[in-house]
Amino acid sequence: MKNKRDLILSAILLIVLFGASWFANSELDSYIRRIVNLCLIYAIIGLSMNVTNGFAGQFSLGQAGFMAIGAYTVGIFTVPVELRANVFYAVPMNPFIADIQMPVWLALIVGGLLAALVAFLIGTPVLRLRGDYLAIATLGFSEIIRICITNASSFTNGALGIKDIPPLNDVRYIFVVTAITFVFIAALINSSYGRAFKAIREDEIAAEAMGINLYKHKCLAFMISAFFAGIGGGLYGTLLGTVDPKNFLFTLTYNFLLIIVLGGMGSITGSMLGAIIVTAGLEYLRIFDEPLKLFGTMIPLFRPGFRMVMFSALLMACVLFWRHGIMGTREITWSKLIAFCKNPIGFFKRKGAAQ
Amino acid sequence: MKKMMSVILASALAVGLLTGCGGDTKKDDAKSNVIKIGVFLPLTGDNAAGGELELRGIKLANKLHPEVLGKKVELVIADNKSDKAEAASVAARLIERDKVKVLLGSYGSSLSMAAGNIVKNSKVPAIGTSCTNPQVTANNDFYFRACFIDPFQGTVMANYAFKNGARKVAIIQEVSNDYAVGLAKFFKDAFIKLAGPDSIIEVANYQTGDKDFSAILTNIKAMHPDAIFAPGNFTESALLIKQARQLGIKAPFLGGDTWETQEFINVGGADVEGVAFSTAFDREKATTAEAKKFLDEYVKEYKGEPSALSALAYDAYLIAIDGIKRANSTDSVKIRDAIATTKDMEGVTGKTTLDKNGDPIKGAVIKTVRDGKFKYIDFVDVK
Repeated sequence: MKNKRDLILSAILLIVLFGASWFANSELDSYIRRIVNLCLIYAIIGLSMNVTNGFAGQFSLGQAGFMAIGAYTVGIFTVPVELRANVFYAVPMNPFIADIQMPVWLALIVGGLLAALVAFLIGTPVLRLRGDYLAIATLGFSEIIRICITNASSFTNGALGIKDIPPLNDVRYIFVVTAITFVFIAALINSSYGRAFKAIREDEIAAEAMGINLYKHKCLAFMISAFFAGIGGGLYGTLLGTVDPKNFLFTLTYNFLLIIVLGGMGSITGSMLGAIIVTAGLEYLRIFDEPLKLFGTMIPLFRPGFRMVMFSALLMACVLFWRHGIMGTREITWSKLIAFCKNPIGFFKRKGAAQ
Repeated sequence: MKKMMSVILASALAVGLLTGCGGDTKKDDAKSNVIKIGVFLPLTGDNAAGGELELRGIKLANKLHPEVLGKKVELVIADNKSDKAEAASVAARLIERDKVKVLLGSYGSSLSMAAGNIVKNSKVPAIGTSCTNPQVTANNDFYFRACFIDPFQGTVMANYAFKNGARKVAIIQEVSNDYAVGLAKFFKDAFIKLAGPDSIIEVANYQTGDKDFSAILTNIKAMHPDAIFAPGNFTESALLIKQARQLGIKAPFLGGDTWETQEFINVGGADVEGVAFSTAFDREKATTAEAKKFLDEYVKEYKGEPSALSALAYDAYLIAIDGIKRANSTDSVKIRDAIATTKDMEGVTGKTTLDKNGDPIKGAVIKTVRDGKFKYIDFVDVK
């Protein structure tokens, strides 16, 4: 049975990776841990964005707004009560929430649910739009969220931001959340819902003719996407230990758009790959920021900021030559991996012939 | 073609991988004759202009004070892309990878706050250059700064307004800017203490990027304020003042140190003549020996007038060097203890003494715009 084999292999991989995260947490320095965590968090948000944009084919740019909801929920409810007067020094915290303190996991879930609720509310009118119009509407929505946060000072501390969120630079914790997200979304995509999403992506009229409830499925995809974006945003907040509205400018959404486009719209493993390449790759490119001495002379091009030039050039090359991202809509599956291990050269030849 | 491109890309990455590995073999220990100071600033992204000015100050300081305890000071400069997540990782990188003893930076309070937990946990002192939000150093024993903070600046302007006869003041704040909100809040508190509870007649808000302020201004005109306090970004503030004058508002405008850029005068033109704002540094008031050295060298090196940002960054470096010298050690915790007791350290922006929060106690300069140039008008010392 192929399915059974894949399931067992996946379970083994998860356990091995969890072991690796345990190792990473105790053995590696805080810089590497931070990069690993950032990769994982960006992978969660990339995955969530892929549900609407890649699988259901609805071009939404509201991710920064959903992240903001999650991050602020965690920010507001996890700051220790005795530190709150210090943080809210301009406008005192609203007495309704001033004494509520939650553990991080609960705040994460509440943040995710809140994001999903908001997604439901705005999804009802907005998901009737298609293509560019939906993109503009969701972009506008994420700006609305940010401006609400800026002005609701007694809840969010306005532009001053929230500090002293208990820091969470724990690879195990974040790995477990990422694993749950991955498994959930992989299972969703392979269920009848996932097939309905893909049908909607390919052709809405045909999908509707086949008896798929367009509104229900679009809304579901949007809410699930918002839920995980909220969780990802919450983790982002705890990793940094501080949140402020300027974090969640619409440009943040483009970060994740970049990740899913690079990884492949409509590929779960592609999103994971994209998140790792963009985050770790950008850190890795710091070698271009450091001064370089070649044959005793300083090369003036190697100065802080040069890596961004290199990064952009690499991106352009990638997009030119892999027009559908690295993975396209394909996935890394166990059968492909096994075929690759058996015959590494033949694997690529066969694929080349199939194209 | 596609195949060839993949091969080229893969080989480029492989070469990069090899050069990358070569860099990590450097050893660092107590016997080494180099002391590393990390600098993390926004050198790309939205805040790149400010980051670049501060980098100039730090580089100049390093050039003039290249040694401490007989060891060479090496700057490790890193870009944080004006992004909070990057600021946090780069601070961790400087501390873990480069083993820096002190961290300098960053421009922008939120970027500094993102690094706050990291310096606290790894027990490496950090000195902020121009992050004015009180939260940066609050509840963090390892964060210090070279600039005065929002509460002080707001209070200084309130005193200045009161001294010059203002009794009814309107506030127009850039509500999406943490700096402006902080200043407005402390201006309000201080002014109410001086002139009574009804002295603030209006607090109006606008967003970063707004271009039209006529609704706010028409409303304020009807209230006839004696002065208007309008902290915010320089472009928006200049437009705001321009439109106020067009509407016939005669009341003087007061602001904060963000106004001290040439763009403010370029945008505002004749309309911004006579505004008053507080800032950290002016060459007329720059009386210390260090300031003279800084001014001469800056003009020689960069051909232009130094800004307050460069001066503050220069001072941040001096605080670090002074701390290392007094600690007589390269141990980060000992350096931290020495920095915490900084007293009367002579810098470009005057003598610096750090209080128990790690914020400097020092005076502010009040400047105005006259004939298209920034002019010194007053100096406010701390009592």
